[in-house]
Amino acid sequence: MATRSLTRTDDLFRRLAPHALPIAIVVMIVGFSIAQPAFLTPDNLIGIVRQVALIGIMATCMTFVIMTGGVDLSVGPVLALAGLVSFYCLQADLPLVVVVLGGLSAGVLVGLFNGAIVAFLGLPPIIATLGTLSIVRGTALIVGGPEQHLIRDEPAYTFIGAGNLFGLPFSIYIFAAVAVVMIFVQRRTPLGLLVAAVGDNERAAYLSGHRIRVTKLTVYAISGFGAALAGIIQSSQVHTALATYGPFGTELDVIAAVVVGGTSIMGGNGSVVRTLLGVFFLGVVNTGMNILNVPIDVQLMAKGAIIVVALAFSARLA
Amino acid sequence: MRIPRATLALLFFFAGTAVFFSVSAPRFATATNVENLMSGFSFVAILAMGQAFPILVRGIDLSIGAIVAVVGMVVFDLTLIFHVPGYLILPMALLTGILAGAVNGMLVVFLRLQPFIATLATLAAYRGLVYSISGRQLVEGLTTTAITDRWIVGIETYYDIGGWTGISQFMQMPWFPLSFFLMLGVFVVLQTVLLATRFGRDLRAVGGNHEAARLAGINTGGIVISAYATSGLCAAIAALIMVARFTTSTEALGTGMELTAIAAAVIGGVSFAGGIGSMFGPVVGAFLLGIVLLGLTLQGVEQFVQQIITGAILLAAVSYDRILVVRRRRRLAADLVAAS
Amino acid sequence: MEPVIRGTDLTKVYGNLTALGEATFAVEAGEVRGLVGSNGAGKSTLVKILTGAVTPTLGTVEITGHAAPLGDPRGMILRGVACIYQHSNLAPSMSVLDNIFLGRQPTRGLGLVDTSRMRAEARALLERHQIDLDLDATVSALPTVKQKEVEILKALALDARVIIMDEPTGWLSSVEVAKLHETVRALKKRGVAVIYISHVLDEIFAVCDTVTIMRDGRIISESPVKDVNRSQVVHLMVGEKLARESERAAHEKRHPRGTGEIRLKADKLTKHGVFEDVSFELYAGEILCITGLIGSKRTEMVRTLFGSDRFDAGTLEVDGQAVTFSSPTQAISKGVGFVPEDRHREGLMLDMTMTENLAMATLHRFRRGVILSRRSMVESGRRAIENLSIRPPDGTRPVKLLSGGNQQKVLVGKWMSRTPRIFILDEPTVGVDVGAKAEIYAILRRERDRGAAILVVSSDLEEVATIADRIGVMVAGRLTAMHDGDSAPMDEIVAEIGGAD
Repeated sequence: MATRSLTRTDDLFRRLAPHALPIAIVVMIVGFSIAQPAFLTPDNLIGIVRQVALIGIMATCMTFVIMTGGVDLSVGPVLALAGLVSFYCLQADLPLVVVVLGGLSAGVLVGLFNGAIVAFLGLPPIIATLGTLSIVRGTALIVGGPEQHLIRDEPAYTFIGAGNLFGLPFSIYIFAAVAVVMIFVQRRTPLGLLVAAVGDNERAAYLSGHRIRVTKLTVYAISGFGAALAGIIQSSQVHTALATYGPFGTELDVIAAVVVGGTSIMGGNGSVVRTLLGVFFLGVVNTGMNILNVPIDVQLMAKGAIIVVALAFSARLA
Repeated sequence: MRIPRATLALLFFFAGTAVFFSVSAPRFATATNVENLMSGFSFVAILAMGQAFPILVRGIDLSIGAIVAVVGMVVFDLTLIFHVPGYLILPMALLTGILAGAVNGMLVVFLRLQPFIATLATLAAYRGLVYSISGRQLVEGLTTTAITDRWIVGIETYYDIGGWTGISQFMQMPWFPLSFFLMLGVFVVLQTVLLATRFGRDLRAVGGNHEAARLAGINTGGIVISAYATSGLCAAIAALIMVARFTTSTEALGTGMELTAIAAAVIGGVSFAGGIGSMFGPVVGAFLLGIVLLGLTLQGVEQFVQQIITGAILLAAVSYDRILVVRRRRRLAADLVAAS
Repeated sequence: MEPVIRGTDLTKVYGNLTALGEATFAVEAGEVRGLVGSNGAGKSTLVKILTGAVTPTLGTVEITGHAAPLGDPRGMILRGVACIYQHSNLAPSMSVLDNIFLGRQPTRGLGLVDTSRMRAEARALLERHQIDLDLDATVSALPTVKQKEVEILKALALDARVIIMDEPTGWLSSVEVAKLHETVRALKKRGVAVIYISHVLDEIFAVCDTVTIMRDGRIISESPVKDVNRSQVVHLMVGEKLARESERAAHEKRHPRGTGEIRLKADKLTKHGVFEDVSFELYAGEILCITGLIGSKRTEMVRTLFGSDRFDAGTLEVDGQAVTFSSPTQAISKGVGFVPEDRHREGLMLDMTMTENLAMATLHRFRRGVILSRRSMVESGRRAIENLSIRPPDGTRPVKLLSGGNQQKVLVGKWMSRTPRIFILDEPTVGVDVGAKAEIYAILRRERDRGAAILVVSSDLEEVATIADRIGVMVAGRLTAMHDGDSAPMDEIVAEIGGAD
């Protein structure tokens, strides 16, 4: 009967679904390697991880925000601002720890501000972070002007983004550390459960006695932290702090990674691990297309198509 | 007709800001400045009105800026490479916008993608498409060729209303750009559709309670697709205005405009809850952003500070709207009890 | 005579769950057919198929003998099928007038709405059915009762052949219920077929000609109302065992004022414009039911006992100490538990598992330092599921897949894990089938016997009669009477609810 065969295909989909992304990643890697054997070299693979580290850190940290049903559009300007703050701290000959903490605090402060307007004023996150996007970008431009600021003779700082440890770029270790911590928080701490609960039904979570505002402040602060960390790594990698880093599109790339990974933009259940899969998937695809010299227009259209396919797929299963 | 409190507040704020800048910024209250306002922000108002439609059906259109670029490049190619006459290009441009918007709608309706995601994807895809079809890349020398077709360039025309009506004898009048009248035309048509037609009612029903609309027999899929198509249409009109102004088009046209359009619509009272808002708000919102930016520029305020202030205005406007909503709800609750 | 509406072999399968199995069903013109059954019996599915909201897996529907398009709401409306849905089906930001004609506002050329014609038609309808509504009011600003009237008028405006009413009296007072029944009789006289779904058997017996009984997705029986009695209907709906249990429960001994220890004392609680001068005591070891009409502000009042809302004047004492709760967190720390009225909007995380929902109010117990021990959460959940007989007993199942009754049990279970000293429940068995109802009553009695002070807000007089140790009546924001459960004369209470002195 027609009805029964449909159910079998649906069953197949359902069983494959959680593994769709890893399968797709493997398929992509195999495909690209066949087309261009240079793809499968350790150098290239490490390069992929290094390249996605920045987006990866931001996406990992934004996962919680998205799980609460929110979004953080301000990560691009925060990235730039953190780089600038670190630069000025370096200029002031402050110790490395202070430099890094300074940059990170800038991000956390913006994050807390975002969290505050969302939690206390009740503004929709998309509007709230749209507003802070402008405000932070303007602030970065005022603080640093439109000029590039070169970071010279700062070996310790430069090591963060450009150094190597046991053959792997140091930034990959930072990425890995952030990922491990975030996975731990999501799976093994009350915050991880609360974040999904708030995204699923905020009112019910409130009536169950949970402090919703504190949760929201926390998740936006984490997102700001991630953006700031990425900003420090980037400025360290390219030896430059610039107020226009993290241009328009950065936040969308981060959101795309989270969403392709399977966390719903509407909030609720989600997973940092899946975000990582989304990050790697997009990273493999981007790098593969670059290696194959795929022209930029096709790359952009492919990116759009991938988002559509990945999400239509998961919508089918819901 | 009852004017909602929120709209009054917005108008009040608009007037207040205009007064503030008239007093504090040199050359603000001049004909030239008003002209700059109209020519610089009419298309923003059109984009804001377009963006309002997806928001009304509980969606969003992140690709509106990319659609502007696509339409711009289509116009560029048609006139400079294929030498299609202008009077044919205009409808083709509008059609392109409508189709591009309809694609968004279809992704939302048929593939059941979240609007944020669907238009994020088309944002990327359309930007890519612009590069693919870009005449600037494909044909040598076009980057320096100006568009001269009367029908297109004619959009960038200014009318000396003051001179015609004789008002110029009494006070300095700005020359009105055609884009301003286009904006008014779009406003009249879309506002009428929204408030006075069944389609408009159906649209607000779909946005307010999708399931109720479906059960009432409304073709919700068609409505949603139409909403996104309207957004695309407005993007096309805005693109024509910009191409006429610059006499060329670039791949980067419209970058970032989606955020400005969203901001203007939201400042104008269009709510993300769906079903709430009209065309009036986005227009006022767009021009409010305009007078703030122009006013600040005339005051000599750095461009970077302008960014901060724009963001602050957005936050302030939305917060104020929230306060109104909360106050309204409390008042209604008290009224209800008094009546019972 | 060809029946006005006929469904043949209607089946709906979701995955491996058969929501409706081979239902054959026909209603004649001018017949008022009652449709009863527990939650999960298949009533809503049948209705959704008949209105086109859902496409059946198998089967056909005919209207006056002609095949009707399936899964097409517009098609069904055009063929004269109207429905008053249980849950709000209105566009909140639009006016009453626009909602009445939702999707079919009359137009004159170019799609422009003919407002004057629409208004005239609406006024005529309001006259005819004696309903009083402000046509220009925004629906979201109306109280639930008025919204329900808009729903009713919306269905009546369609001038349909078949009107389906799904739990139409859930929010209405007895006066309004009587008015609705008058409307049903008037429709019957005009030859309209009415399908009337209700959990309140009294209404079925009052207004229906025939009754169809469903259970587990199938139609079990169909007969004229005069040929069956109440207990037969309940038995058919529920099966032998549960029917007997609920009858037994109704004859239990009452414990007014429980152990004599006052747990909660409200003294002249007032919230300006909402409720006034509410004073009562709640004792450990008793179940106090506060009943009244919708609009009597009981929910608003108990919210202030829990901290999700604040009162303006008066005092609240818990265990003899004056308290002011400014958030649920505070009330919870003082031992108050609260099961809200709307479990979907305020109670459960639908996409999360039973285990997670059950642990939602007691997360701190599973904390080991920084870590949340999932294992102890699962264990605790398993115990709760067992104690409450939640079905299916699978803690990893997302709550949205459960039936209404089991969902409510999860909600109750969540709070019971805290063994609240004061347990407040707001309409705890709305939309819950008879079987689960009995189980929830048993749970409440257990908690009471263990010494909890239980406060139940309920509009269901049957329920109040079954479980109350003491009964309070609220009218328009005031607590007007208090009775002991075993001596409470029901008709006096009904009169008090209506406002009589």
